[in-house]
Amino acid sequence: MLYVISKYWPFLLEGLKTAFIITFTSYTIGFAGGICIAIARAFLHKVLKIIMHIYVELFRGTPMLIQLFFVYYALPEVGIKFDPVLSAIIAIGLNSAAYQSEYIRSALSSIPYGEIEAAYSLGLTKLSTMLYIALPQAIRIAIPTLTNEAIYLFKYSSIAYFVTAPELMYMGKLIATRTFLYVEVYTVLAMIYVAFSIVLSGVARYIERRLQIPGYIV
Amino acid sequence: MVSKLLVVEDLWKFIDGKPVLRGVTFDVNEGETKVILGPSGAGKSTLLRCINLLIMPDRGKIVFDGEDVLRKRDIHSIRSKIGFVFQHFNLFSHMTALENVTLGLTKVKKLSKHEAEKKAKEALIAVGITEELWNKYPAQLSGGQQQRVAIARALAMEPKLILFDEPTSALDPELIWEVLNVMEKLAKAKMTMIVVTHEIGFAMRVANEVLFLDNGVILERGAPEQVILSPCNERVRRFMDRMKYVYNVDKGYAH
Repeated sequence: MLYVISKYWPFLLEGLKTAFIITFTSYTIGFAGGICIAIARAFLHKVLKIIMHIYVELFRGTPMLIQLFFVYYALPEVGIKFDPVLSAIIAIGLNSAAYQSEYIRSALSSIPYGEIEAAYSLGLTKLSTMLYIALPQAIRIAIPTLTNEAIYLFKYSSIAYFVTAPELMYMGKLIATRTFLYVEVYTVLAMIYVAFSIVLSGVARYIERRLQIPGYIV
Repeated sequence: MVSKLLVVEDLWKFIDGKPVLRGVTFDVNEGETKVILGPSGAGKSTLLRCINLLIMPDRGKIVFDGEDVLRKRDIHSIRSKIGFVFQHFNLFSHMTALENVTLGLTKVKKLSKHEAEKKAKEALIAVGITEELWNKYPAQLSGGQQQRVAIARALAMEPKLILFDEPTSALDPELIWEVLNVMEKLAKAKMTMIVVTHEIGFAMRVANEVLFLDNGVILERGAPEQVILSPCNERVRRFMDRMKYVYNVDKGYAH
């Protein structure tokens, strides 16, 4: 194991970097998309609502791998071509948007209606009420589930391996076939994934503490 | 001449097919305090919510400040002229007391942050919320303090009318006193108010007129002494007898 780390650490580091980029970017896309979808589903008229609903069900209901293959292999057929890393970011990001929208939607529905009424009674529009009253509280409530999602995404970034994106899994496989030290290599990978997940949840706890409303227990 | 600020005419509201308001008619003059009494489920809260369109009435007419409210498309500007104080305060729990009061000023009235804070602080001082509480969050305040911040939030918008929906029902007696005290001051300063409450002592002292609502209908209306102490309607008399028993009004030491 030490041999693997000491000899191949530049590969592992490169892989970690790519995995991180995929996770971070797709998570950001998912977060922004999730908020937009959640707001849209609270507002838009029927047809658009149904479209959003279909989007969510479609991306939740199909394996992420299929979505990734679709972006990487099927879209070029119609002339849209992305490199492996970008494909992974797009596929995982779209998938995550579907999940994150659900997390935010359920958090939104837990905001006391009295506060919404109070905002309306001041003359705030529906959108302002959403942006200034409902959403800031919903995001706080959703932090634990949104953290879960980030950890999931970091692990799921490994499926980018199937479209040859040089992330951690891909690098591991490369080292393993070269050295035949399969067990050692995959143990090292597992340890990296765990370590990173622990760091992520630590960061999330920090954010949660920073955003905590004094005297308020969720 | 006193002008009519609010005219409610033959107001009906059905919820799940059941009539909650059945042809309510009344009006409010500028500077007047109306108190609405009545049992739970009488439609008191629904009536208040219909006035600022938190609930859309099904039939009838509401004229506020010379405008036919139900015909108007911009309900937000109507609402910004009508304050609303809720039974459960409904402060925005992620904002400090000061931020709660400033929000409407910056987002609805589009005041600058500086101006909004100045106005908000004035309103907070007017309801007796002093500086050390301005940066506290709702969960760090007592019920009475929260309700006073909520009154300041309504007051800062400089409304023409404030609606109170059982503002003291969720408070213990000492805190009730501090909230009623603020409301009484408002009434003395000629703020136009409609107050749904069970505080008949408050009604006796402050109300220009008392309306008794039961089952979506105004059963009796008149001066507070008349409606509370010697009602004509049998149903109202029964209600008042029990209220007097609870509050000991006729022995003269309510509040």
